[in-house]
Amino acid sequence: MLQHPFFPGLWCRDVPMTPDSNAHNVVLSIQSHVVRGYVGNKSASFPLQVLGFEVDSINSVQFSNHTGYSHWKGQVLTADELHVLYEGIKLNNVHHYDYVLTGYTRDTSFLEMVVDIVQELKRANPNLVYVCDPVLGDHGSMYVPENLHPVYKNKVVPVADIITPNQFEAELLTGKNISTEKDAVEVMDLLHKMGPDTVVITSSDLPSRLGDRFLVSLGSQRTLMPDGTKSTQRVRMEIPKVDAVFVGTGDLFAAMLLAWTHHYPNDLKTACEKTFSVMHHVIKRTISYAHELAGPGRKPSPPQLELRMVQSKADIEDPAIVMEATVLTL
Amino acid sequence: IEMECRVLSVQSHVVRGYVGNKSATFPLQVLGFEVDSINSVQFSNHTGYAHWKGQVLTADELNVLYEGIKLNNVNHYDYVLTGYTRDTSFLETVVDIVQELKRLNPKLVYVCDPVMGDQGSMYVPENILPVYRDKVVAVADILTPNQFEAELLTGRKISTEKDALEVMDLLHQMGPDMVVLTSTDLISPHGDQFLVALGSQKMVRADGTTSTQKIRMEMPKVDAVFVGTGDLFAAMLLAWTHHHPKDLKAACEKTVSVLHHVIKRTITYANKMAGPGKRPSPAQLELRMVQSKKDIEYPAIVVEAIVL
Repeated sequence: MLQHPFFPGLWCRDVPMTPDSNAHNVVLSIQSHVVRGYVGNKSASFPLQVLGFEVDSINSVQFSNHTGYSHWKGQVLTADELHVLYEGIKLNNVHHYDYVLTGYTRDTSFLEMVVDIVQELKRANPNLVYVCDPVLGDHGSMYVPENLHPVYKNKVVPVADIITPNQFEAELLTGKNISTEKDAVEVMDLLHKMGPDTVVITSSDLPSRLGDRFLVSLGSQRTLMPDGTKSTQRVRMEIPKVDAVFVGTGDLFAAMLLAWTHHYPNDLKTACEKTFSVMHHVIKRTISYAHELAGPGRKPSPPQLELRMVQSKADIEDPAIVMEATVLTL
Repeated sequence: IEMECRVLSVQSHVVRGYVGNKSATFPLQVLGFEVDSINSVQFSNHTGYAHWKGQVLTADELNVLYEGIKLNNVNHYDYVLTGYTRDTSFLETVVDIVQELKRLNPKLVYVCDPVMGDQGSMYVPENILPVYRDKVVAVADILTPNQFEAELLTGRKISTEKDALEVMDLLHQMGPDMVVLTSTDLISPHGDQFLVALGSQKMVRADGTTSTQKIRMEMPKVDAVFVGTGDLFAAMLLAWTHHHPKDLKAACEKTVSVLHHVIKRTITYANKMAGPGKRPSPAQLELRMVQSKKDIEYPAIVVEAIVL
């Protein structure tokens, strides 16, 4: 405790310190870094830190900005360099994590190195939760090299605990098409069998009961009951569509799902409501600002559409719930 | 009201811990600044641990990243922030970038921590000194040297407060209108558990004449070696001078107070982790940055700066 006499010129008083805690919330996040904007680690770190998580971040690339701009420049990390960084952490015996978080990756050997690291970290901490966004593509087409598909399917998903595929990715991983809600539930069950106990299909083409201004998201969480049987909670959400292309929202989603499942480990309904609500607030703030910058009648540009992350701090810390998840009874 | 203020920070990145950009970014973001960050290196952790591994960015690669920003016409910044650098060509490229950014925004403020060494010895290559002295300091607006670095840059030794004030005036003449001597060996009237920090801000009066405000602070010494506190200091000085542009006293009181809260939380945690009677390790001494969010947002003032 610092206690100092009162001298003119020196006035130092002790103030109560907010308590520190051992909250098992250390995250290793392996994602892209952009100098400007919010994708990858830039999208995930600040919100997680604001929610009190320690975020160790390995930057898989360093680019000036995301690749939706007219120009982008930068450097990529190789699988060997990733390994070197991990070795540094390990040599210091600080390779103890509660969570691993990964997203967009383009390189198979890099992804395979990530799997090796996750397996080793799980040996060091069997309670580790690996949150994986299996980024492969959207709306029927892949936007990563095709040879990533078997790596995700055969190696990554089996060690994942929470995955956040969109409909296309869920179909690719399971080889099954989704035309109805029933299909989606079966696909999520197949994904559970492959590894993860928590699956969220972040967006789908299923028709929403609220009309075509809404898209449908679904989630499924398998838990082990005290009597040894497995029980599955499935939820459905109707999400308002937004007339703009955002980049980094999937990364923010996975990070916030990590945070809210941490606080609600057996309540997927609440975790999803919080996560989707944060997304809503950030996107709404972003689109308002983007339109203000672009001017009336003009489409905002990629720089103008960068997520208003820093400005959304209060919503990230304590998201007002703006949508309700329905629990499916099947 | 949303603040619209964009900082370009060119510093180290560590996977684990809080130095360089890891130390500067979160606190600035929490205070509402947009932080664009160029990582000059990516290391597993800072070099005070038993082991460290990683990769460095070359001057060319720095240029390539800046080119990307420039090609998109988003090279508009209100602040630039730099710290620990080991490579002269990298530092020279930083100067080129700052000069170009200042042409685009003449109001840009370059906050520079001229990291070279401490307690009488250099911990960067010696050839960095002429680059700081002859090129960097000239374009800096806010400078945060310690006593050793201030002596190196001006070629003058500091034995008394009067020496320190003269050195700060010399530094003003070299470029920056604001200089904070973050720590000195000057004797504190409150005893050897305190160290003296000094600051000087040059301002232009309405009639065109210049005046300087000089301040002095006594800060409690802490019995531990922290890494990243200088980076946090420079970042928070950026933030608080932004809010108090003509009041160095207020800006410094807030900045030093934030450091106090973060350090106090850190040392408490480190001692708890180490156990009774044991010295905490570098890993245990990592700044409790995330846990100090509220203190960063609303620092309770725990030190008073005297205006000299």
